[in-house]
Amino acid sequence: MSTKNIMLCCVAGMSTSLLVNKMKKAATELEKDVVIFATSVSGFDQELASRQVDCVMLGPQVSYMEKDFKEKLKDKNIPLSVINMQDYGMMNGEKVLLQAYELMGGE
Amino acid sequence: MTNKSLWQKFIDRFTRISIKIGNQIHLRSLRDAFAMIMPLFILAGLGVLINNVFFPLFLKGTSLANFQTFGNLIVNGTLNIAGLIIAPVVGYCLARNRNYKNALGAAIVSLAGLIVVMPVTLQALPINGKKAVDISGFLSYSNIGVTGMFAGIIIGLIAAELFIKLSKIEKIKINLGENVPPAVSESFLTLIPTIAVISLLAIISAILFVGFHTDLIKLITTLIQEPLRRVNTSLPGFLLIYSVGNLLFGFGIHQAVINGTLLDPVLLINTNKNMQAFAAGDHVPYIITSVFRDTFGMMGGTGSTICLLVATFLFSRVKASREVTKLSIVPGIFNINEPVIYGYPIVFNIPLLIPFVLTPIISLLIAYYATVLGLMNKTVVLVPWTTPPLINGFLATGGDWRAVVVQLFSFIIGVLFYIPFMKISEQVLLKQNQA
Repeated sequence: MSTKNIMLCCVAGMSTSLLVNKMKKAATELEKDVVIFATSVSGFDQELASRQVDCVMLGPQVSYMEKDFKEKLKDKNIPLSVINMQDYGMMNGEKVLLQAYELMGGE
Repeated sequence: MTNKSLWQKFIDRFTRISIKIGNQIHLRSLRDAFAMIMPLFILAGLGVLINNVFFPLFLKGTSLANFQTFGNLIVNGTLNIAGLIIAPVVGYCLARNRNYKNALGAAIVSLAGLIVVMPVTLQALPINGKKAVDISGFLSYSNIGVTGMFAGIIIGLIAAELFIKLSKIEKIKINLGENVPPAVSESFLTLIPTIAVISLLAIISAILFVGFHTDLIKLITTLIQEPLRRVNTSLPGFLLIYSVGNLLFGFGIHQAVINGTLLDPVLLINTNKNMQAFAAGDHVPYIITSVFRDTFGMMGGTGSTICLLVATFLFSRVKASREVTKLSIVPGIFNINEPVIYGYPIVFNIPLLIPFVLTPIISLLIAYYATVLGLMNKTVVLVPWTTPPLINGFLATGGDWRAVVVQLFSFIIGVLFYIPFMKISEQVLLKQNQA
Protein backbone atom coordinates (compact mmCIF):
# COMPACT_ATOMS: atom_id res chain seq x y z
CA MET A 1 0.00 0.00 0.00
CA SER A 2 1.59 3.25 -1.12
CA THR A 3 1.32 6.64 0.51
CA LYS A 4 -1.81 8.56 -0.52
CA ASN A 5 -1.80 12.32 -1.02
CA ILE A 6 -4.97 14.21 -0.20
CA MET A 7 -5.31 17.89 -1.08
CA LEU A 8 -7.91 20.06 0.63
CA CYS A 9 -8.87 23.35 -0.93
CA CYS A 10 -10.82 26.41 0.27
CA VAL A 11 -10.77 30.18 -0.29
CA ALA A 12 -7.59 30.97 1.61
CA GLY A 13 -6.56 27.47 2.73
CA MET A 14 -7.15 28.54 6.34
CA SER A 15 -10.21 26.69 7.55
CA THR A 16 -9.29 23.57 5.56
CA SER A 17 -5.94 23.54 7.34
CA LEU A 18 -7.91 23.17 10.57
CA LEU A 19 -9.57 20.11 9.12
CA VAL A 20 -6.23 18.79 7.91
CA ASN A 21 -5.03 18.56 11.51
CA LYS A 22 -8.14 16.63 12.50
CA MET A 23 -7.76 14.30 9.52
CA LYS A 24 -4.11 13.63 10.34
CA LYS A 25 -5.12 12.64 13.83
CA ALA A 26 -7.77 10.30 12.46
CA ALA A 27 -5.23 8.86 10.02
CA THR A 28 -2.84 7.99 12.83
CA GLU A 29 -5.64 6.27 14.72
CA LEU A 30 -6.74 4.34 11.64
CA GLU A 31 -3.09 3.62 10.74
CA LYS A 32 -3.41 5.07 7.26
CA ASP A 33 -0.28 5.97 5.32
CA VAL A 34 -1.31 9.37 4.04
CA VAL A 35 -0.11 12.92 3.35
CA ILE A 36 -2.79 15.58 3.82
CA PHE A 37 -2.38 19.26 3.06
CA ALA A 38 -4.49 22.39 2.49
CA THR A 39 -4.25 25.06 -0.17
CA SER A 40 -6.18 28.08 -1.45
CA VAL A 41 -8.29 28.18 -4.59
CA SER A 42 -5.69 30.42 -6.23
CA GLY A 43 -2.88 28.07 -5.22
CA PHE A 44 -4.62 25.04 -6.72
CA ASP A 45 -2.76 24.96 -10.05
CA GLN A 46 0.62 25.41 -8.49
CA GLU A 47 0.18 22.64 -5.93
CA LEU A 48 -1.17 20.34 -8.59
CA ALA A 49 1.84 20.95 -10.82
CA SER A 50 4.45 20.67 -8.10
CA ARG A 51 3.50 17.62 -6.08
CA GLN A 52 1.81 14.24 -6.11
CA VAL A 53 -1.96 14.47 -5.56
CA ASP A 54 -4.21 11.41 -5.40
CA CYS A 55 -7.46 13.08 -4.45
CA VAL A 56 -8.89 16.59 -3.99
CA MET A 57 -11.48 17.60 -1.39
CA LEU A 58 -13.19 20.97 -1.77
CA GLY A 59 -14.57 22.99 1.15
CA PRO A 60 -18.32 23.49 0.70
CA GLN A 61 -17.85 27.27 0.50
CA VAL A 62 -15.95 26.83 -2.77
CA SER A 63 -18.23 24.13 -4.19
CA TYR A 64 -18.78 26.48 -7.13
CA MET A 65 -15.28 25.60 -8.37
CA GLU A 66 -16.16 21.92 -8.65
CA LYS A 67 -16.86 21.86 -12.37
CA ASP A 68 -13.84 23.94 -13.29
CA PHE A 69 -11.44 21.92 -11.17
CA LYS A 70 -12.85 18.60 -12.34
CA GLU A 71 -12.06 19.69 -15.87
CA LYS A 72 -8.45 20.35 -14.87
CA LEU A 73 -8.17 17.00 -13.09
CA LYS A 74 -9.70 14.95 -15.88
CA ASP A 75 -6.48 14.17 -17.74
CA LYS A 76 -4.67 13.21 -14.57
CA ASN A 77 -7.46 10.94 -13.40
CA ILE A 78 -7.56 12.53 -9.96
CA PRO A 79 -10.94 12.26 -8.24
CA LEU A 80 -12.53 15.32 -6.61
CA SER A 81 -15.38 15.71 -4.18
CA VAL A 82 -17.01 18.48 -2.14
CA ILE A 83 -16.84 17.93 1.61
CA ASN A 84 -20.20 17.43 3.30
CA MET A 85 -21.32 20.67 5.01
CA GLN A 86 -22.06 19.02 8.33
CA ASP A 87 -18.76 17.16 8.51
CA TYR A 88 -16.96 20.33 7.53
CA GLY A 89 -18.66 22.38 10.22
CA MET A 90 -18.04 19.81 12.92
CA MET A 91 -14.47 19.36 11.64
CA ASN A 92 -15.06 15.62 11.57
CA GLY A 93 -11.61 14.46 10.46
CA GLU A 94 -12.40 10.77 10.44
CA LYS A 95 -15.48 11.05 8.26
CA VAL A 96 -13.79 13.30 5.71
CA LEU A 97 -10.77 10.98 5.64
CA LEU A 98 -13.01 8.00 4.97
CA GLN A 99 -14.84 10.00 2.30
CA ALA A 100 -11.47 10.64 0.66
CA TYR A 101 -10.52 6.96 0.78
CA GLU A 102 -13.84 5.99 -0.73
CA LEU A 103 -13.13 8.48 -3.51
CA MET A 104 -9.75 6.90 -4.19
CA GLY A 105 -11.34 3.50 -4.44
CA GLY A 106 -11.09 1.98 -0.99
CA GLU A 107 -7.96 0.41 0.52
CA MET B 1 -46.15 25.16 0.75
CA THR B 2 -45.99 27.54 -2.19
CA ASN B 3 -44.15 29.95 0.05
CA LYS B 4 -41.42 27.46 0.68
CA SER B 5 -40.89 26.64 -2.95
CA LEU B 6 -40.72 30.35 -3.73
CA TRP B 7 -38.01 30.73 -1.09
CA GLN B 8 -36.17 27.72 -2.52
CA LYS B 9 -36.44 29.21 -5.98
CA PHE B 10 -34.99 32.48 -4.75
CA ILE B 11 -32.05 30.71 -3.10
CA ASP B 12 -31.31 28.65 -6.20
CA ARG B 13 -31.46 31.62 -8.50
CA PHE B 14 -29.48 33.91 -6.20
CA THR B 15 -26.69 31.37 -5.75
CA ARG B 16 -26.59 30.58 -9.44
CA ILE B 17 -26.21 34.21 -10.47
CA SER B 18 -23.63 34.90 -7.77
CA ILE B 19 -21.56 31.92 -8.78
CA LYS B 20 -21.72 33.06 -12.38
CA ILE B 21 -20.33 36.44 -11.37
CA GLY B 22 -17.72 34.86 -9.12
CA ASN B 23 -16.64 32.38 -11.73
CA GLN B 24 -16.37 34.92 -14.53
CA ILE B 25 -12.83 34.35 -15.69
CA HIS B 26 -11.55 37.94 -15.61
CA LEU B 27 -13.01 38.63 -12.18
CA ARG B 28 -11.62 35.35 -10.91
CA SER B 29 -8.19 36.18 -12.28
CA LEU B 30 -8.40 39.52 -10.52
CA ARG B 31 -9.18 37.80 -7.22
CA ASP B 32 -6.27 35.40 -7.71
CA ALA B 33 -3.96 38.30 -8.55
CA PHE B 34 -4.94 40.19 -5.40
CA ALA B 35 -4.32 37.09 -3.31
CA MET B 36 -0.84 36.88 -4.83
CA ILE B 37 0.25 40.46 -4.16
CA MET B 38 -1.50 40.91 -0.80
CA PRO B 39 1.73 40.31 1.21
CA LEU B 40 3.17 43.47 -0.36
CA PHE B 41 0.26 45.61 0.82
CA ILE B 42 0.46 44.13 4.30
CA LEU B 43 4.17 44.96 4.30
CA ALA B 44 3.24 48.53 3.33
CA GLY B 45 0.96 48.64 6.36
CA LEU B 46 3.79 47.47 8.56
CA GLY B 47 6.12 50.10 7.12
CA VAL B 48 3.55 52.84 7.70
CA LEU B 49 2.96 51.63 11.25
CA ILE B 50 6.67 51.66 12.10
CA ASN B 51 7.22 55.03 10.43
CA ASN B 52 4.24 56.95 11.75
CA VAL B 53 3.41 55.29 15.06
CA PHE B 54 6.55 53.59 16.35
CA PHE B 55 9.38 55.99 15.40
CA PRO B 56 7.59 59.17 16.61
CA LEU B 57 7.42 57.60 20.09
CA PHE B 58 11.09 58.35 20.70
CA LEU B 59 12.34 60.42 17.75
CA LYS B 60 11.86 64.02 16.65
CA GLY B 61 12.84 66.41 13.85
CA THR B 62 15.66 65.51 11.52
CA SER B 63 16.50 62.19 13.14
CA LEU B 64 12.84 61.16 12.84
CA ALA B 65 12.88 62.12 9.16
CA ASN B 66 16.09 60.15 8.67
CA PHE B 67 14.64 57.06 10.28
CA GLN B 68 11.44 57.43 8.30
CA THR B 69 13.40 56.93 5.10
CA PHE B 70 13.02 53.23 5.91
CA GLY B 71 9.23 53.29 5.68
CA ASN B 72 9.25 55.62 2.71
CA LEU B 73 11.37 53.17 0.76
CA ILE B 74 8.95 50.38 1.63
CA VAL B 75 6.07 52.50 0.36
CA ASN B 76 8.01 52.98 -2.89
CA GLY B 77 8.36 49.24 -3.35
CA THR B 78 4.73 48.47 -2.52
CA LEU B 79 2.02 51.14 -2.76
CA ASN B 80 3.85 53.30 -5.27
CA ILE B 81 4.12 50.46 -7.76
CA ALA B 82 0.74 48.82 -7.08
CA GLY B 83 -0.46 49.33 -10.66
CA LEU B 84 2.85 48.20 -12.13
CA ILE B 85 2.73 44.97 -10.12
CA ILE B 86 -0.94 44.13 -10.61
CA ALA B 87 -0.74 44.30 -14.44
CA PRO B 88 1.62 41.37 -15.08
CA VAL B 89 0.23 39.35 -12.16
CA VAL B 90 -3.35 39.64 -13.39
CA GLY B 91 -2.16 38.74 -16.90
CA TYR B 92 -0.39 35.71 -15.47
CA CYS B 93 -3.46 34.60 -13.53
CA LEU B 94 -5.71 35.02 -16.55
CA ALA B 95 -3.37 32.87 -18.63
CA ARG B 96 -3.39 30.20 -15.95
CA ASN B 97 -7.16 30.25 -15.64
CA ARG B 98 -7.44 29.96 -19.41
CA ASN B 99 -5.12 26.94 -19.22
CA TYR B 100 -2.66 28.75 -21.45
CA LYS B 101 0.79 27.22 -21.08
CA ASN B 102 3.02 30.25 -21.48
CA ALA B 103 1.63 32.27 -18.55
CA LEU B 104 4.88 34.16 -18.08
CA GLY B 105 4.71 35.27 -21.72
CA ALA B 106 1.28 36.73 -21.09
CA ALA B 107 2.57 38.49 -17.96
CA ILE B 108 5.41 40.08 -19.93
CA VAL B 109 3.02 41.39 -22.57
CA SER B 110 0.75 42.81 -19.83
CA LEU B 111 3.65 44.64 -18.23
CA ALA B 112 4.96 46.01 -21.52
CA GLY B 113 1.43 46.98 -22.48
CA LEU B 114 0.95 49.01 -19.32
CA ILE B 115 4.19 50.91 -19.87
CA VAL B 116 3.25 51.61 -23.48
CA VAL B 117 0.07 53.45 -22.46
CA MET B 118 1.89 55.69 -19.97
CA PRO B 119 2.02 59.40 -20.86
CA VAL B 120 5.15 60.47 -22.72
CA THR B 121 5.59 63.77 -20.90
CA LEU B 122 4.76 64.54 -17.28
CA GLN B 123 4.46 67.60 -15.16
CA ALA B 124 6.66 67.58 -12.08
CA LEU B 125 7.56 69.91 -9.25
CA PRO B 126 11.32 70.22 -8.68
CA ILE B 127 12.50 69.87 -5.06
CA ASN B 128 12.47 73.39 -3.57
CA GLY B 129 10.92 74.65 -6.83
CA LYS B 130 7.60 76.45 -7.02
CA LYS B 131 6.63 76.04 -10.67
CA ALA B 132 5.79 72.69 -12.26
CA VAL B 133 7.91 71.81 -15.25
CA ASP B 134 7.35 69.42 -18.15
CA ILE B 135 9.61 66.41 -18.05
CA SER B 136 9.98 63.36 -20.26
CA GLY B 137 11.71 60.03 -19.86
CA PHE B 138 10.06 59.25 -16.52
CA LEU B 139 7.28 57.14 -15.06
CA SER B 140 5.40 58.73 -12.18
CA TYR B 141 4.47 56.96 -8.97
CA SER B 142 0.95 58.31 -9.33
CA ASN B 143 0.50 56.53 -12.68
CA ILE B 144 2.11 53.23 -11.70
CA GLY B 145 1.01 53.35 -8.05
CA VAL B 146 -2.29 53.17 -6.22
CA THR B 147 -4.09 55.65 -8.48
CA GLY B 148 -3.07 53.61 -11.50
CA MET B 149 -4.24 50.30 -10.06
CA PHE B 150 -7.36 50.05 -12.16
CA ALA B 151 -5.45 51.01 -15.27
CA GLY B 152 -2.99 48.24 -14.39
CA ILE B 153 -5.83 45.75 -13.97
CA ILE B 154 -7.64 46.68 -17.17
CA ILE B 155 -4.61 47.01 -19.42
CA GLY B 156 -3.12 43.85 -17.88
CA LEU B 157 -6.29 41.89 -18.62
CA ILE B 158 -6.80 43.27 -22.13
CA ALA B 159 -3.19 42.75 -23.17
CA ALA B 160 -3.04 39.20 -21.81
CA GLU B 161 -6.43 38.30 -23.28
CA LEU B 162 -5.51 39.52 -26.77
CA PHE B 163 -2.12 37.81 -26.51
CA ILE B 164 -3.65 34.47 -25.54
CA LYS B 165 -6.33 34.70 -28.24
CA LEU B 166 -3.80 35.55 -30.96
CA SER B 167 -1.39 32.85 -29.81
CA LYS B 168 -4.03 30.23 -30.40
CA ILE B 169 -4.56 31.18 -34.04
CA GLU B 170 -2.63 28.64 -36.13
CA LYS B 171 -2.32 30.82 -39.23
CA ILE B 172 -0.12 33.47 -37.68
CA LYS B 173 2.32 31.10 -36.03
CA ILE B 174 5.76 31.27 -37.55
CA ASN B 175 6.59 27.78 -38.74
CA LEU B 176 10.29 27.08 -39.05
CA GLY B 177 10.04 23.50 -40.26
CA GLU B 178 10.93 20.21 -38.64
CA ASN B 179 14.72 20.57 -38.58
CA VAL B 180 14.68 23.55 -36.25
CA PRO B 181 15.06 22.63 -32.55
CA PRO B 182 11.65 22.83 -30.77
CA ALA B 183 12.94 25.40 -28.26
CA VAL B 184 13.88 27.75 -31.08
CA SER B 185 10.52 27.54 -32.82
CA GLU B 186 8.82 27.90 -29.43
CA SER B 187 10.46 31.29 -29.00
CA PHE B 188 9.00 32.41 -32.33
CA LEU B 189 5.47 31.24 -31.46
CA THR B 190 4.71 34.25 -29.34
CA LEU B 191 6.47 36.76 -31.54
CA ILE B 192 3.60 37.89 -33.75
CA PRO B 193 1.02 38.05 -30.93
CA THR B 194 3.44 40.14 -28.85
CA ILE B 195 4.12 42.53 -31.70
CA ALA B 196 0.42 42.84 -32.50
CA VAL B 197 -0.79 43.51 -28.95
CA ILE B 198 1.90 46.01 -28.00
CA SER B 199 1.67 47.82 -31.35
CA LEU B 200 -2.10 48.13 -31.02
CA LEU B 201 -1.79 49.69 -27.56
CA ALA B 202 0.97 51.96 -28.83
CA ILE B 203 -1.19 53.15 -31.74
CA ILE B 204 -4.16 53.90 -29.47
CA SER B 205 -1.96 55.71 -26.97
CA ALA B 206 -0.22 57.71 -29.68
CA ILE B 207 -3.54 58.84 -31.14
CA LEU B 208 -4.82 59.82 -27.70
CA PHE B 209 -1.63 61.63 -26.86
CA VAL B 210 -1.04 63.47 -30.13
CA GLY B 211 -4.66 64.06 -31.10
CA PHE B 212 -6.39 64.58 -27.77
CA HIS B 213 -3.57 65.40 -25.31
CA THR B 214 -4.67 62.68 -22.97
CA ASP B 215 -3.72 59.08 -22.15
CA LEU B 216 -5.38 55.76 -21.33
CA ILE B 217 -4.32 55.86 -17.70
CA LYS B 218 -6.13 59.15 -17.19
CA LEU B 219 -9.20 57.94 -19.11
CA ILE B 220 -9.49 54.65 -17.23
CA THR B 221 -8.99 56.36 -13.89
CA THR B 222 -11.55 59.11 -14.43
CA LEU B 223 -14.13 57.20 -16.49
CA ILE B 224 -14.09 53.77 -14.83
CA GLN B 225 -12.17 53.66 -11.57
CA GLU B 226 -13.52 56.77 -9.88
CA PRO B 227 -17.26 56.34 -10.64
CA LEU B 228 -17.12 52.67 -9.64
CA ARG B 229 -15.15 53.40 -6.51
CA ARG B 230 -17.46 56.23 -5.52
CA VAL B 231 -20.63 54.16 -5.85
CA ASN B 232 -19.31 50.91 -4.37
CA THR B 233 -17.58 52.53 -1.42
CA SER B 234 -20.39 54.95 -0.59
CA LEU B 235 -22.13 53.98 2.64
CA PRO B 236 -25.33 52.56 1.04
CA GLY B 237 -23.50 50.95 -1.90
CA PHE B 238 -20.94 49.35 0.36
CA LEU B 239 -23.46 48.02 2.89
CA LEU B 240 -25.72 46.67 0.15
CA ILE B 241 -23.00 44.77 -1.73
CA TYR B 242 -21.42 43.51 1.47
CA SER B 243 -24.75 42.23 2.79
CA VAL B 244 -25.58 40.47 -0.46
CA GLY B 245 -22.23 38.72 -0.18
CA ASN B 246 -22.92 37.73 3.41
CA LEU B 247 -26.38 36.43 2.53
CA LEU B 248 -24.70 34.24 -0.08
CA PHE B 249 -22.46 32.79 2.62
CA GLY B 250 -25.68 31.99 4.50
CA PHE B 251 -26.49 29.70 1.58
CA GLY B 252 -23.12 27.99 1.87
CA ILE B 253 -21.14 29.81 -0.81
CA HIS B 254 -18.22 31.92 0.34
CA GLN B 255 -18.90 35.67 0.40
CA ALA B 256 -15.66 36.34 -1.47
CA VAL B 257 -17.50 35.36 -4.66
CA ILE B 258 -19.39 38.68 -4.44
CA ASN B 259 -17.17 40.79 -2.23
CA GLY B 260 -13.85 39.69 -3.66
CA THR B 261 -14.91 40.92 -7.06
CA LEU B 262 -17.25 43.87 -6.54
CA LEU B 263 -15.86 45.34 -3.33
CA ASP B 264 -12.27 44.32 -2.64
CA PRO B 265 -10.59 46.07 -5.58
CA VAL B 266 -12.18 49.46 -4.84
CA LEU B 267 -11.97 49.09 -1.06
CA LEU B 268 -8.30 48.23 -1.41
CA ILE B 269 -7.69 51.41 -3.39
CA ASN B 270 -9.22 53.35 -0.49
CA THR B 271 -7.07 51.50 2.04
CA ASN B 272 -3.93 52.09 0.03
CA LYS B 273 -4.70 55.77 -0.46
CA ASN B 274 -5.27 56.15 3.27
CA MET B 275 -1.97 54.42 4.00
CA GLN B 276 -0.20 56.66 1.51
CA ALA B 277 -1.73 59.83 2.96
CA PHE B 278 -0.99 58.75 6.54
CA ALA B 279 2.60 57.92 5.61
CA ALA B 280 3.02 61.34 4.00
CA GLY B 281 1.31 63.13 6.90
CA ASP B 282 -1.50 64.34 4.62
CA HIS B 283 -5.25 64.44 5.28
CA VAL B 284 -6.56 60.83 5.36
CA PRO B 285 -9.40 60.70 2.81
CA TYR B 286 -11.66 57.67 3.35
CA ILE B 287 -13.72 56.15 6.17
CA ILE B 288 -14.77 53.04 4.28
CA THR B 289 -11.80 50.86 3.38
CA SER B 290 -11.09 47.14 3.15
CA VAL B 291 -9.51 47.12 6.59
CA PHE B 292 -12.46 49.12 8.01
CA ARG B 293 -14.73 46.31 6.84
CA ASP B 294 -12.49 43.54 8.19
CA THR B 295 -12.02 45.27 11.52
CA PHE B 296 -15.57 46.34 12.31
CA GLY B 297 -17.75 44.25 9.99
CA MET B 298 -16.36 40.77 10.52
CA MET B 299 -15.31 40.30 14.12
CA GLY B 300 -14.59 36.60 14.45
CA GLY B 301 -15.24 36.13 10.74
CA THR B 302 -18.08 36.89 8.33
CA GLY B 303 -21.28 37.81 10.18
CA SER B 304 -19.31 38.85 13.29
CA THR B 305 -20.02 35.35 14.56
CA ILE B 306 -17.82 35.79 17.63
CA CYS B 307 -20.92 37.53 19.02
CA LEU B 308 -22.97 34.37 18.44
CA LEU B 309 -20.30 32.25 20.10
CA VAL B 310 -20.29 34.41 23.21
CA ALA B 311 -24.11 34.55 23.24
CA THR B 312 -24.20 30.76 23.06
CA PHE B 313 -21.56 30.36 25.71
CA LEU B 314 -23.46 32.63 28.10
CA PHE B 315 -27.09 31.80 27.41
CA SER B 316 -27.53 28.50 25.57
CA ARG B 317 -28.35 25.21 27.23
CA VAL B 318 -28.38 23.19 24.04
CA LYS B 319 -25.52 20.73 24.14
CA ALA B 320 -24.89 20.62 20.38
CA SER B 321 -24.57 24.42 20.14
CA ARG B 322 -22.18 24.51 23.07
CA GLU B 323 -20.07 21.76 21.48
CA VAL B 324 -19.70 23.74 18.22
CA THR B 325 -18.90 26.85 20.19
CA LYS B 326 -16.06 25.11 21.98
CA LEU B 327 -14.72 23.89 18.66
CA SER B 328 -15.08 27.29 16.99
CA ILE B 329 -13.78 29.73 19.56
CA VAL B 330 -10.05 29.46 18.86
CA PRO B 331 -10.29 29.75 15.06
CA GLY B 332 -12.91 32.48 15.67
CA ILE B 333 -10.37 34.60 17.52
CA PHE B 334 -8.44 34.65 14.24
CA ASN B 335 -11.60 35.49 12.27
CA ILE B 336 -11.94 32.02 10.78
CA ASN B 337 -15.51 30.82 11.23
CA GLU B 338 -16.35 28.02 8.81
CA PRO B 339 -16.99 25.70 11.78
CA VAL B 340 -19.69 28.12 13.01
CA ILE B 341 -21.19 28.66 9.58
CA TYR B 342 -21.42 24.96 8.67
CA GLY B 343 -21.42 23.37 12.09
CA TYR B 344 -23.74 25.53 14.18
CA PRO B 345 -25.16 25.75 11.47
CA ILE B 346 -25.92 29.18 10.07
CA VAL B 347 -26.30 27.93 6.50
CA PHE B 348 -29.97 27.62 5.54
CA ASN B 349 -30.92 28.40 9.14
CA ILE B 350 -33.34 31.30 8.62
CA PRO B 351 -33.52 32.57 12.23
CA LEU B 352 -29.73 32.90 12.35
CA LEU B 353 -29.39 34.22 8.81
CA ILE B 354 -31.04 37.45 9.98
CA PRO B 355 -28.42 38.47 12.58
CA PHE B 356 -25.70 36.96 10.39
CA VAL B 357 -26.47 39.62 7.77
CA LEU B 358 -27.63 42.45 10.07
CA THR B 359 -25.01 42.38 12.85
CA PRO B 360 -22.19 43.46 10.52
CA ILE B 361 -24.39 46.29 9.20
CA ILE B 362 -25.04 47.51 12.74
CA SER B 363 -21.36 47.41 13.74
CA LEU B 364 -20.27 49.04 10.52
CA LEU B 365 -22.79 51.85 11.02
CA ILE B 366 -21.60 52.35 14.59
CA ALA B 367 -17.98 52.49 13.45
CA TYR B 368 -18.84 54.75 10.51
CA TYR B 369 -20.62 57.36 12.60
CA ALA B 370 -18.05 57.10 15.38
CA THR B 371 -15.47 58.08 12.77
CA VAL B 372 -17.67 60.86 11.35
CA LEU B 373 -18.14 62.30 14.85
CA GLY B 374 -14.38 62.20 15.39
CA LEU B 375 -14.63 59.63 18.17
CA MET B 376 -11.93 57.55 16.53
CA ASN B 377 -9.34 57.76 13.75
CA LYS B 378 -9.86 56.53 10.21
CA THR B 379 -8.31 53.20 9.27
CA VAL B 380 -4.83 53.87 7.92
CA VAL B 381 -2.97 50.56 8.17
CA LEU B 382 -3.72 47.35 6.31
CA VAL B 383 -3.59 44.54 8.85
CA PRO B 384 -4.02 40.89 7.78
CA TRP B 385 -7.65 39.79 8.12
CA THR B 386 -6.60 37.01 10.49
CA THR B 387 -5.55 39.55 13.16
CA PRO B 388 -7.77 39.05 16.25
CA PRO B 389 -10.52 41.61 16.96
CA LEU B 390 -9.56 44.50 19.29
CA ILE B 391 -5.89 44.09 18.32
CA ASN B 392 -6.80 44.74 14.67
CA GLY B 393 -8.82 47.83 15.61
CA PHE B 394 -5.87 49.27 17.47
CA LEU B 395 -3.37 48.58 14.68
CA ALA B 396 -5.65 49.52 11.77
CA THR B 397 -6.27 53.00 13.11
CA GLY B 398 -2.57 53.63 13.62
CA GLY B 399 -2.69 52.87 17.34
CA ASP B 400 -5.95 54.55 18.39
CA TRP B 401 -7.28 52.92 21.58
CA ARG B 402 -10.69 54.56 21.01
CA ALA B 403 -11.19 52.25 18.03
CA VAL B 404 -10.88 49.35 20.45
CA VAL B 405 -13.63 50.87 22.58
CA VAL B 406 -15.84 51.22 19.49
CA GLN B 407 -15.16 47.58 18.64
CA LEU B 408 -15.97 46.48 22.17
CA PHE B 409 -19.22 48.47 22.09
CA SER B 410 -20.23 46.98 18.71
CA PHE B 411 -19.34 43.56 20.03
CA ILE B 412 -21.67 43.91 23.03
CA ILE B 413 -24.50 45.17 20.79
CA GLY B 414 -23.81 42.21 18.50
CA VAL B 415 -24.05 39.70 21.35
CA LEU B 416 -27.35 41.22 22.52
CA PHE B 417 -28.67 41.19 18.96
CA TYR B 418 -27.76 37.54 18.39
CA ILE B 419 -29.38 36.26 21.61
CA PRO B 420 -33.10 36.31 20.59
CA PHE B 421 -32.38 34.78 17.18
CA MET B 422 -30.23 32.11 18.79
CA LYS B 423 -33.14 31.24 21.09
CA ILE B 424 -35.59 31.07 18.16
CA SER B 425 -33.16 28.90 16.22
CA GLU B 426 -32.91 26.50 19.18
CA GLN B 427 -36.70 26.33 19.48
CA VAL B 428 -37.01 25.51 15.79
CA LEU B 429 -34.35 22.83 16.00
CA LEU B 430 -35.99 21.36 19.07
CA LYS B 431 -39.37 21.14 17.30
CA GLN B 432 -37.76 19.60 14.24
CA ASN B 433 -36.09 16.96 16.38
CA GLN B 434 -39.36 16.15 18.15
CA ALA B 435 -41.30 15.86 14.92
